[in-house]
Amino acid sequence: MIPLVRPAVADAERPYVTRLRVVSPPMGANEAVLIEGDDQGGVFAGPFGLLDVQGVAASDLDGDVVLVDPARGRIERLLRDDSTTNTLLVTERCDQLCVMCSQPPKKTHVDRFDLLEEACALAPKGMLIGISGGEPTLYKERLLTMLERTLSIRPDLGFHVLTNGQHFDGNDVERLSHPAFRRVSWGIPLYAADPALHDHIVGKDGAFVQLETCLAHLSMAGARIELRTVVLNENVEALPALSRHVATRLRFVEAWSIMQLEHIGFARNRWAELFLDHRHRFPPIAQALDHALLHGVRAQMFNFPRCTVPAPYRHLAIASISDWKRKYPTECGGCRERGACSGFFEWHPDEEVRMVVEPL
Amino acid sequence: MTFAPLRLRAVDEGRALVVNDAGRFFMGSSAFVDRFADDRLTPIDGIFLRAGGHVVGDDDPLGTAAHVRGVADRIARAGALDYLILVPTLRCNLSCSYCQVSRVAESRVGFDWSEDTLEAVLNLIDGLHAPRIKIEFQGGEPTLRPDLLRAVIERCDRFDRAEFVVCTNLQHLDAEILAILDRPDVFVSTSLDGDAATHSRNRTGKPEVTDAFLANLRMLVDRHGPRKVSALPTIDPSLPPEPDDLIDAYAALGLDSIFLRPINYQGFARKRHRESREQDDAWRRYYERFVRRLIERNWCDRDRVLEETYLSIALRRIFQPGAERHVDLRNPNPMGLDYVVIDHDGTVYPTDEARMLARSGVIDLSPGTVRDGWGGPKRDLLNANATNQFDPDCRRCAYQPFCGRDVVDDLARYGRIDVPRHETEFCRRHLHLFDFAFQLIYSEDEAVLHSLARWLRLPGQPTTFGESVS
Repeated sequence: MIPLVRPAVADAERPYVTRLRVVSPPMGANEAVLIEGDDQGGVFAGPFGLLDVQGVAASDLDGDVVLVDPARGRIERLLRDDSTTNTLLVTERCDQLCVMCSQPPKKTHVDRFDLLEEACALAPKGMLIGISGGEPTLYKERLLTMLERTLSIRPDLGFHVLTNGQHFDGNDVERLSHPAFRRVSWGIPLYAADPALHDHIVGKDGAFVQLETCLAHLSMAGARIELRTVVLNENVEALPALSRHVATRLRFVEAWSIMQLEHIGFARNRWAELFLDHRHRFPPIAQALDHALLHGVRAQMFNFPRCTVPAPYRHLAIASISDWKRKYPTECGGCRERGACSGFFEWHPDEEVRMVVEPL
Repeated sequence: MTFAPLRLRAVDEGRALVVNDAGRFFMGSSAFVDRFADDRLTPIDGIFLRAGGHVVGDDDPLGTAAHVRGVADRIARAGALDYLILVPTLRCNLSCSYCQVSRVAESRVGFDWSEDTLEAVLNLIDGLHAPRIKIEFQGGEPTLRPDLLRAVIERCDRFDRAEFVVCTNLQHLDAEILAILDRPDVFVSTSLDGDAATHSRNRTGKPEVTDAFLANLRMLVDRHGPRKVSALPTIDPSLPPEPDDLIDAYAALGLDSIFLRPINYQGFARKRHRESREQDDAWRRYYERFVRRLIERNWCDRDRVLEETYLSIALRRIFQPGAERHVDLRNPNPMGLDYVVIDHDGTVYPTDEARMLARSGVIDLSPGTVRDGWGGPKRDLLNANATNQFDPDCRRCAYQPFCGRDVVDDLARYGRIDVPRHETEFCRRHLHLFDFAFQLIYSEDEAVLHSLARWLRLPGQPTTFGESVS
């Protein structure tokens, strides 16, 4: 596991964003350069004064864009230079309450959009930045403005926004049709073609109907959409019907990701009730994949370790777990597919991991 | 109010295939067809039609969006120029009876690119905006000029990805040519008409020349694997080979894709094979028999997937619009935009067939030259007619969303483009192809369904390929 939050002492009084430089030469303003450091931490000097970071090797921080929070005595590594999976959390509020939520929502909102926008401006060239929550579109105006302003000065960047797709309306179509939004894709969950089952899983009445309306607006705007379906005991048998629904009504999506459950958040306490061991119930997943692929929908599997998937479908199981929260048990050492495999979430119970793994 | 852009194609026993503008389809029973014709659809029919996206209710914005996007997906968009078919020489060391390209003898002078033409081609490549490029070397026999091939290939270093196909008869491979073919970005396309006797009869004339070709073909496959090579047979419909003989000739080399083409009514074939202007039912029966044999063999040996290339293309066009970039079957089919042919004298043609028509003295469709550019009114005139969307026959045809348009083919066969569509060879060929494809799609034979799934590159076996309503 790669720690994203580290203790730090800073001169400044207010939170700020800066890019850390260890070996690489400074590229522009708003960068803090290493003065001295070792594998326990380092002292950086930048436009906001000195910054003393602890608990991480200074060399690991090279190129990282960090949010410095002097009052709480810490830094947050927002955009790590050597990672392809950086995600900015824009709010912890949400208007859905999914049964398996990996990041249960909070009632309060701390607005950090201005700082996050500064971070995006400092991002390494060509980076794909994830935006997550909570529900980012609860602050839709702030969010869209941040994306537009960032992309106008940094057209090399891309964004992938995780959203429940409940808050788009007809007025957004023209705005989202702007060419800048070709650099933005929207990851939107859909759990069943049956409105009642979807509403039950996301914990909100009328969510399915509202989602359909929003998807229609997004479609007409030409928005890039990645549908996401977490497989649960409750919806696995409904996957073939969902696949027909996707191929019929949502064929315009860029990808459909069928996802295995994450052992964290609400799912941790409801694991036995929610978790579906796909090794023993793969047929409905296979049917869903085959039907979607038949109709040209790019279906794929997230968080399915390759050795747990029947061979013909293995190439659809992609290395989906972000580097900082991914682990491979020692048994995976000799596996020839490890490089292409999702591995496991850091918080997946080790005894289950060992039970499952059969190196290829 | 419900929008129902449905078209029907009668099948058998009163059944009909029902297709909408977005290419969504289902099989209607004779009882359904009667209800449809008499305007007696039941509420259950209505639910089925809306759920499948076959009709669109105006109270359903997502269904409407899906339909609109579905129709758009059926319309091919020609991107930036990124595909060049180059003819560095018209000279050839073979003289095939149906040669399409009006070749000249190997010893002739003045049928290769001049220094100026080469420079103009290289300048053209330098000016391309696409990040990727595909170049096909045609002829004549392009390996007679390895220096020109090298010059072009080296000039493509700057692209993110470049792919080259050398269309060669593989008669002579020396170290110099082999060095080009050994490059991982170079692929070989050749002709293999079947067993050695058939190949000799059609192409080489002498068994020892055929043997040399086969030895070279085998050597390339052994050296680089079967993916290096694609081969195409040309079939004389008056004397087609036994399907198994042809399949065996390909399978023995590890070649799984067979593009079953009758002699093209082009070039020398216009004189020597006059009957090739139109194919009759005998050819279509042979085609089906050939595919049925592939299906049986795929079923017996599940480790191997043999396919007829054009049928696989048709299937992808039915199910996966946008996945296919086969320029001979797309709609609209604009010319002189994303790909062009550059002849041995620097003349630009919209397609290889157009080049042959000019060589045969039928009609000159060249819109310009590589030196002075192309475009202008001639190309615009061709492209104004390069769609099937507004053709009175096609508009009623269930297969229009899957089908294409080939103006040059019409000109080649009939000298005009306004022959009623259903009276053209292009239309008859594709009506048969799609009829046959849907016969397979609605088959209940496990072996057929197995092959369909493989041809569509699916990991497993879908529950069904097409819905039906009783």
